[in-house]
Order: sequence, then C-alpha cells, then structure tokens
Amino acid sequence: MISNRNRVRRFAGSLLAAAAATALLLSGCSADTTGDPGASGALLTVPREDMGTFNRNFNPFSPNAAPMTQQAVYESMLVYNPADGSTTPWLAESWESSEDGKTVTFHLRDGVTWSDGEPFTAQDVATTFALQQKIVEGSFPYVEKVAAADETTVVFSLSEPFSPGLYEIGQQVIVPDHVWADQESPDTFENKEPVGTGPYTEVTNFQTQSFDLLPNPHYWQKDKQKLPGVRMLAFAGNDGANLAAINGDVDWAPQFMPDIETTFVDRDPEHRHYWFPPTGSMVNWQLNTTTEMFKDPEVRKALSLAIDREQVVEVGMSGYTEAADCTGLSGSYSAWKDESLIGACEWIGYDPDKAGEMLDAAGYELGTDGTRTTPEGEPFAFDISVGSTSTDWLSVANIISQNLADIGVTATVDAPDWAAVTAGYEQGDFDTGIVWSDNAPTPYQYYRSLMSSETLKPVGEQTFSNYHRFSEPKADELLDQFSASSDEATQHDIVDQLQELYLEAAPVVPLFPGPEWGAYTDVRFTGWPTEDDPYATLSTRSPTTVLVLTSLEPAA
Amino acid sequence: MRFILRRLGFYLVAFWLSITLNFLLPRLMPGDPVSRMLSRSQGQLDPSQIESLRQLLGVDDRPWWQQYPEYLWRVLTGDLGISISRFPTPVAEVISSQLPWTLLLGFVSLIIAVVIGNLLGILAAWRRGSFLDSFVPPFLIFLGSFPYFWLAMGLLYVFGITLGWAPLSHAYSVGLQPSFSFEFIADVAAHLVLPALSIVLVSIGGWMLAMRNTMIATNSEDYILMAEAKGLRPSRIMFAYSARNAMLPAVTNVGMSIGFIVGGALLTEVVFAYPGVGYQLMAAVQGLDYPLMQGMFLTITGAVLLANFLIDIIYVRLDPRVRAH
Repeated sequence: MISNRNRVRRFAGSLLAAAAATALLLSGCSADTTGDPGASGALLTVPREDMGTFNRNFNPFSPNAAPMTQQAVYESMLVYNPADGSTTPWLAESWESSEDGKTVTFHLRDGVTWSDGEPFTAQDVATTFALQQKIVEGSFPYVEKVAAADETTVVFSLSEPFSPGLYEIGQQVIVPDHVWADQESPDTFENKEPVGTGPYTEVTNFQTQSFDLLPNPHYWQKDKQKLPGVRMLAFAGNDGANLAAINGDVDWAPQFMPDIETTFVDRDPEHRHYWFPPTGSMVNWQLNTTTEMFKDPEVRKALSLAIDREQVVEVGMSGYTEAADCTGLSGSYSAWKDESLIGACEWIGYDPDKAGEMLDAAGYELGTDGTRTTPEGEPFAFDISVGSTSTDWLSVANIISQNLADIGVTATVDAPDWAAVTAGYEQGDFDTGIVWSDNAPTPYQYYRSLMSSETLKPVGEQTFSNYHRFSEPKADELLDQFSASSDEATQHDIVDQLQELYLEAAPVVPLFPGPEWGAYTDVRFTGWPTEDDPYATLSTRSPTTVLVLTSLEPAA
Repeated sequence: MRFILRRLGFYLVAFWLSITLNFLLPRLMPGDPVSRMLSRSQGQLDPSQIESLRQLLGVDDRPWWQQYPEYLWRVLTGDLGISISRFPTPVAEVISSQLPWTLLLGFVSLIIAVVIGNLLGILAAWRRGSFLDSFVPPFLIFLGSFPYFWLAMGLLYVFGITLGWAPLSHAYSVGLQPSFSFEFIADVAAHLVLPALSIVLVSIGGWMLAMRNTMIATNSEDYILMAEAKGLRPSRIMFAYSARNAMLPAVTNVGMSIGFIVGGALLTEVVFAYPGVGYQLMAAVQGLDYPLMQGMFLTITGAVLLANFLIDIIYVRLDPRVRAH
C-alpha cells in the first residue's frame, strides 16, 4: 500500500505539472510576433482603462476597434478641435460648398501615401464612404453620391443642403481602396495588418494586454513624426490605469483620477500636469415633460434656480469642471455662445427664494409641514434617476435632492444599474434624471436632440435622443434654416436665436459641461496641449488625438 | 458502472437546465446591446445609426422561442458566434485568449491554498491547544474576512509601490515576447506572486479550519486509539490514518473550487490588471453581449459539471461506502 503522504505528494505534483504545462501552453500560443520595439528610445506609453485585454482588430468601421485605430493608423480629411474651435485641414487641403448647398467638394493633399507606399487618391475617399454606408446603413443619410472627379478632388452630392454634414464627412477616417475594395465582408474583417495614412501604423508585438504602433515608413509629414512609436497598455478599470500613471509607467493618463493634485501631480510637480477642458457634452438634469408637473416651463425654471451649481461642481464633480453658464452650451461650443446672454439669465443660477416664489405662483404651494403640493393636491415629489456606477453623478443627484428639500420639494435619488436607467429614459418611463447630451462640431445636433419634433417620440416608443420628450415648432424652423445655410454669419445668427429660444422654453436643466480628462508627464515627451496652447484636448480617443501624436517629441 | 451512468444522466439534465438558464437570464435584463453602447458613449454615437448598428452586430430581435432551438443547436455544434462588445472577434477567440491566464492564476493559488491550508489544519488538529491550533486559525479567518479589494490594494501598495518587490500589473512585462525561455517563465511567475498571494491569503483560513475540524472528529475514533496502541509512528497515524479519513470533505471542496476557477477572479483581475476572463465577463454582462455571455457561462457550466463528475469518480475510489449504494 502506498502511504498516504506519498499519494498526497503525487497528487500535488501532478497538479503542479498541469499548471506548468498551462504556462508553457500560454507562452506557445502567441509567440508569432516579431520586432524590436524601443530600439530607438522609449515609446509613448498610453493606458486604456476600459479594456482588460486587446483583440487584434484594426477595422475602423468596427465600433470596438483596437485603440488608436482611428487616431494613429487612419486619418480624416479635416480635424475639428473643440478646445479652441479651430479646424485643421488634414488629408484635404481645402473644401467648399456650392451655392445651393447640395454639393461639397474636397481638394485632397498632394503627395500623401499609404503606409505600404501606394499613393492616396480621391478613389480611396469614395470607396470609404461607399463602405461606411454599406456597413452601417443609415450613416450619412444626406450623402447621395461620392465621386472622384480627378486624382485629388472628391465631390459629395447631397440629397438636401445639410451644412453640419461638412464636419461629419470631413472627420470620417479614410481607408485605402486597394485593400478594402475587394473585401468580401468588410464588416467582419479584422484587418490585422492595417494600411493607413496615419503617423503610427505598424502594429508590432501584439499581446493580450499591450501592443506597439511603430512609425509609418511613408508618412506625409516626416518632420512631425518624432516619436519612436506608441505603446498601448490594457487595464481593467481606472484603478489599475491610475496606479500605472502614479507610478510613472505611462506618459499619458486620459482617465478619471480622483484627487489628482495629491495622488498624481504632487509626486513630481515639475513634470506632471493635468488639464480638464470643459469640452465634453453638457450634462443636464432632464425633467420628463410629458408628466403633468413638468409640463409648465415655469416649474422647470424654478427647479433650476433651486440648484446650487457651485456646490454641484465643487463637491459632486471634485471641482473638475465649471457650472453651466446661461447659454446652456458646453465649452466645446464657446465660439457659438451669445456673449450678451451669458451675464443675463433668469433661471440658470442659484436663487432658492425666487425658486420658491415661482413655484408658489405656479400653484405648487408650501404646506404647513414644509413640503409643497401640486395644484391637484398631491405631494410634489419625484425621483431623480442616475446610474449607480457613476459615483460622481450620483453625488450630484444627492446634492440636487438636498437643494430641492430646502424649498420643500421631495426628490428621491433612484440609482439602479445604468442599463435600467437608460431603458427608462428610452421608453419615457422616468420622472427626472441626470443625462448627457449630444456633442458634435456644430450645436445643430445638440439643439436637435433637445427641442426638435423630429427627435420627439411618444412615451412608450423607444428613442435614443430627446429622452425628456420636448419639441418646439420654432426650433424646427431654426434648425432647418441652419442646416440649409453654409454661411457662417447666418449660422451664428441662427444659433443666437436658438439660445434665446432655449432660455425661454427651458427644455432641460443644464448642470455643467462634462470635463475631458487628461493628464501627462513630460519626463520623456514634450509638446503637450495645455490651457495656454489648446491645439487639441488631452483625449486619446477623439479626432484631435492625431494632432497630439504629431506634436509630441522626445524630451531632450 | 451503473453508478457512473446514473451520474452521467444527472449531469446531462443539469447541463440542459443550465444552458437554458444561460439563454433566458441575459434576455430578462432591460435594454439591448446597442442602446447600452449608446449610453456608454454618452453622446458620441449618432442615434440615427442605431438600427443599422443592430443589424451589423447581429442583435437578434426575434421572439425567444425562435432563437432557442437555434441556440441549442449552436451550443451542441460548438459554434459560439461573434462577440458584440468585441465585434467582429469570435467569442471562442475572446475566451481562449484569456482562459489560460485565468486557469494559471486559479490553479496556482488553489493548489497553494489547499496544500498549505490542509497541512496547517492537520498539524493544528494533531497538536490541540498549541500555538498553531489556537492562534493561527482566528488570524487567518481575520485576514480572510477583509474586504477583498482592500486586501489586494494593500498588498499592491506595500509590495508593489512602496517596496518595489513585485510588478504592479499585467501577466508579464510589457514588450517581452512570450517564449519557452527561462526569462519569460520567470517573468510570468514574478507577475503571478501578488495576485496569487491575495487569493491564497483570503481562502487559506477556510481550508485550514475545515480540515482541522474534521480531523478532530477522526482523531477521537477507535482506530486511531488502536493505531497508537500498536505503537505506530505518530506521523504515520497522523497522515495515513487520521488525515486520510478526514480528507473527503476537502476533496469535494477542491472539486467545487476547480469548477469555479473558470469564472475568473474578478476583483484580483481588476486590481492587478490580470488578463483573465473575470473582467471580460463583467464587461459582457454590462454591455449585454449575449453571445460572449453565453459562451462564458457555457464554459463555466461545463467546467463546474466536469469537475464535479471527476470528483464523483475519485470519490468512488476514495470512499468504498459510495460504491455500496
């Protein structure tokens, strides 16, 4: 009989052997990459906090392409920068719209080549748009035809004048015709070896949690391609990515970091900086305007006046952003704001006394027990919905609830999972809620989702914008005029009118513009965008990222 | 043999029940994958493209009774489909790139916890009232009841950041090529230390206590007294007589734990950025990625059932009483 001790030992031994075999198997799996990254210096190291692992998918039409696909590998015809409102010609040198607004012509840059050495031509643009419309039906609904007039001229024929389309068209990343035209199923093509016009296209050393992009050997701006390469790291959540940033393992930290001054900057104040421009989408408190109590714009305005936005921003948002100003427009629309309105608003501010008076006047009177009742005699009480995982917005909702309690309104914070919250928003089955808004180069989309009858759906029918279900005929008219006009002065005039209309109608209660997170260390690389030089934001996922990648250079 | 066949039949029914649940539960959650994607992108995605994105990603809008037979067929033929949150990567590829790491981390920490925990339990029961018996179990239980996240963060802070003894994240150093070289295996081992340690610290107390308690019961059996009376060596009595008979519950527990390893250690993976399936599973659930969710639940179900089946068979060898029934 074998003694028990030996048996245990044998059992453990075989398990250990199994574990070792697993380790060997693992190492065997993916040992097919070659390359010697970092041979010419440190790579720009960037964390990605919401992907625990990477998949080798560089298909720019895929909603889940590997990070940097649309930023470093492929490029667009123009780049719009929300931080300063400027537009940089990129693959196109210039563009113009016809008189009737139904034709947009892009003149492409000469001498641009793909990373495999082929020349970049107008046909590539035409193929890209054909693919995009084929893969995602309904994209660019206003684009009827894209034709290559000659090697460097692309003509877009629109079904109707649609001026906001210029930026949408211009910011579409372009793929090469000679690679994509023959793809049988471009939607499921993983594109493991991408061919792009971008500065860093050569995928090297692709592992489950990291990969490197080395310089494009045929880049059209050689003088701006100064990095030895870009290295992406995968992290399953903010904590891991923050730790890497705090420890100095990464150069760029585009994720939310709590108490950034002490945790990040103080460890090396000379080199570590952060900049959170308010160029994200405006974060609103939306009131379901189909419910009896929120039908009256005076009630919505009164509730807005009861909110202490300074407290919301300082406490709820850790001071990382600023309170909404009287235009209700986020910082990405600074150029569109009507200056005369900024100092003169009636209901975007903090004045609880006036809020109380307005509610009294609207029939929501204060009872002897200190709470208000609706004109029908019911208690004036409702829920504030917010997703439980957004801890910052959750604390914003709690502050609003306290502010409202001060004027006798009972608002209960309801924080289930985001999925349940958005399902309620989409069906119109909610009282009030904290919500993002549309953010595009022109305010057209923003106002369209706030006040247009086109986006309005009845309660019970699923919608993906205008959750608060509000429309205003005057807004429809102005929006139509905006999309039909390509003259900038006219457009500004229309947006001014839209701002006035917004202030009159109060479709939602604006809280604060969402900040665009971004921190960096200039130990290894310099040339970052800053508040004084806002040539781009510090985002790693927006069209402006390519501007940063072509401006950074290794520190001397 | 009849015993094994009967067990096999039971496992088939259990398997069918669990894949049916795998099918139903995700569909009871509110929303659909594309609206989740939209709400996560917070205004970056154009609402007018929702319908076509649904089509592109293959979101199935048909009633469940039409989807179900097809689902069963695909499960049987091993076709797991294409992931939605990782579109267009096939589910099998997503899982197979992460499962090995989960298995490595899970097995290494399980083996360490089981071996050390059980040995400590045996020794503690053998020397009742000693330091090992009276102070170590409460201390380990105390450690195990720490909020898991906190313990892992604490380890990471002390050994990773302050002392710099262990790497902070990932399964191996960035830029290293996976290979059979000593360098690579040593690097993987170094990256494994903290995550495995955090799991071992939390689970070891349970193993020790369970073993100690059953061992105390067997120690009072007549055959132990008999063995002592025969003058056998104490170490032989301890391992071959007492521990062997006390081991049965531990074997069951090991089987259960092996099955659950496949589900991944979510919190460990998040804290140490370890590339296992746990985080992927959470992301799949949050993004309502039905194909990926189904694929992962299927893997977990299969692993749990398989492990239990193996334990059933081992039981037949270990415990003659099972055979009699």
